[in-house]
Amino acid sequence: MNEIARRKMFGLFLVLPAFLFVFLVLFLPAANTIIKSFTEFSPMNLQQNDFVGLKNYQKIFGNEEFMDSFFNTLHFAGVSVFFELILGLVLALILNKALAFRGVIRTAILFPWVLPTALNAIIWRWLFNTDFGFFNSFMKSFGLISRNINWLGEVSLAMNSMIWVAVWKTSSFIALILLTGLQSINDELYEAASIDGASGFQKIKSITLPLLIPSILLALLFRSMDALRSFELPFALTQGGPGGATQTLSLFGYRQFFQFLKFDQGAAVSVVQFLFILVLGLIYIRVLKGERDT
Amino acid sequence: MKRLLLIVLMSSTLVSVLFAAGAQEEAASEGPVTIQLGISTREVGAAMPELLKSFEAANPNIKVEWNKVPGVPNDQHTLYVTNMMAQSEQPDVMAVDVVWPGEFIANGWAEPLNEYFSDSDLEGYLDGMMNSVTLDGKAYGVPLYTNAIHFFYRKDLLDKYGLEKPDTWEELIESAMFITEKEQNPDLNGYISMWAQIEGLFMNYLQFMWGAGGQFFDTKGNPSVNTPEAVKALETMVDMIYKYNVAPESILTYKPNDAMALFRQGRAVFMVVQDFVWPMLNEADSPVKGKVVMDRVPYFEGHSDANTVCMGGWILTLNPYSEHKAEAAELIRHLTSTESGIVLGTKSGCMPAVKGMEENAELISAYPIAETLYKDFSVGDVRPSAQAGKNYPELSHIMQKEIHAALLQKKSPAQAMADAQKALDELLQ
Repeated sequence: MNEIARRKMFGLFLVLPAFLFVFLVLFLPAANTIIKSFTEFSPMNLQQNDFVGLKNYQKIFGNEEFMDSFFNTLHFAGVSVFFELILGLVLALILNKALAFRGVIRTAILFPWVLPTALNAIIWRWLFNTDFGFFNSFMKSFGLISRNINWLGEVSLAMNSMIWVAVWKTSSFIALILLTGLQSINDELYEAASIDGASGFQKIKSITLPLLIPSILLALLFRSMDALRSFELPFALTQGGPGGATQTLSLFGYRQFFQFLKFDQGAAVSVVQFLFILVLGLIYIRVLKGERDT
Repeated sequence: MKRLLLIVLMSSTLVSVLFAAGAQEEAASEGPVTIQLGISTREVGAAMPELLKSFEAANPNIKVEWNKVPGVPNDQHTLYVTNMMAQSEQPDVMAVDVVWPGEFIANGWAEPLNEYFSDSDLEGYLDGMMNSVTLDGKAYGVPLYTNAIHFFYRKDLLDKYGLEKPDTWEELIESAMFITEKEQNPDLNGYISMWAQIEGLFMNYLQFMWGAGGQFFDTKGNPSVNTPEAVKALETMVDMIYKYNVAPESILTYKPNDAMALFRQGRAVFMVVQDFVWPMLNEADSPVKGKVVMDRVPYFEGHSDANTVCMGGWILTLNPYSEHKAEAAELIRHLTSTESGIVLGTKSGCMPAVKGMEENAELISAYPIAETLYKDFSVGDVRPSAQAGKNYPELSHIMQKEIHAALLQKKSPAQAMADAQKALDELLQ
């Protein structure tokens, strides 16, 4: 064995524990989930493990609740990520500029993101409470409303309330990613633009945004993947109610697994969700790569 | 390096083999037997040490190990299901929620107790609670304690307008409309309960349905929710929000604690929730302290014989894989005896599910509200979990979903019940 091969072997040996760990807790369960989604499997009967083809998939696609959850998830992810991006961009521009109290402002903006989602949702549940929540009493005291608004109890409002909580919490995460992008833009570009007499808006439009696109795509990738598997927020805020209006795919899958103990159909839900997020991720990465190459 | 790895592997194998051997040896040897009891500290924690001490004093050859399982029922369920799937011999005795026995019986996770308890022993427990553990004449557990959903009303407001306590839903709606109109207080609601899409919603719905003369399963054992009684129950709930305006629309987001908070603030005339709110309503700083009366849940006109108090509680079951079944059954007998019941009631406020407790002077003097609680239990029933077996969680989910759809006016009550019937038939076919 020559020196290089020996060093390679030693390197592989050092990587082995980490690889084993990832293999055991990540790949194995994931592969198991995919296999189980094609079998009839329930914890009630461990011996029964028959291959049933696409039966579990037929069952979940035939379930009205699954389709509703699917579209709820798309609605939630699409709208919340859109507003998070806009708000995140504004925050990032402020963070990039703010000179006085820079540390204080940065901490303040990051604060919502640091709060655990479940805790966050419980706080908002009280704020949204129809009869003694903050929003209604605040708006009532200023005469803005005469009747209490049922934030989390009305089908048309509940999803918007949930999106609002998500935007409040995660805009700062997007801001953080965009901020690193902003700081990598060379100041000379702005100086040159100023000399040419460009206005502030023109500078944002022609310098900041084009150079920020890779960061924006990266933020979108992270956030949309995250939003598409949102679980804690609906779980703690609304439990998927009212009438299933805020039930996401993850929450639906959780019910199949842990409440109804239908591990096979729960596995099928997870696989569908996984494939969907995978395809979306691949598209983003492709676009991102295209951006980099040009 | 290789040698090191080998040593680690070998020693870990050795340790596990030794453990297994040790466990077997313990089982075979004579002397005191140790049994494990799975119960959380959440509700009975204050009474348990004394009960276990008295058991060990009376049975010197049995030691009890208390496995303090998590307090959240869902977590306990996961824990027990995992143990039973692995055919673990522990815990020997499990405290299970009143809606689980159906699932446990269907999967063979609960040992019939008829071998250890005579029929007259079993008749000593509250009938409603025994319904949840009895299947084909066999008893698969006995109740440890019970609680229920009761009716709470503001006596001061009823007295102010010379009204009697409403016995029926019709009277309740009428009184609620009358009082809220006279009081002219926009913050005062007629009726409040827990109508979020949760188990409590299904329980409150069952109370309406039973009160209309309905039963969830017909005499042949098939679900029957597409009936005039079941639809009438749901229609009344919908009308209470939109037609009579006695329940606020926010009731659709309310869990028991939310309802309790509103009622405690003096902002509701009537409330239907679990009995655990009673101490909170009567705390020194409670605005409604001394103004609240607890009673049985109303029924519909002409159905005064209906059981309308939906009961919950905890059951002790015997693990079929246990290696010490006789000793474990002894522990169950001890914990569910009248003497232990008094300790449970006075120390922890959990009402033992034994008949005759309503006349037990020792319990009543230490915990006066117990008298009312037992009066209500006598017109109580349990959720249809024994018949539904392992499908109960999904059955409850279907009902919650359809009831909520009607309450949100996404469907008519008749349509919701027709859809529920269809889904239940498919589930239980």
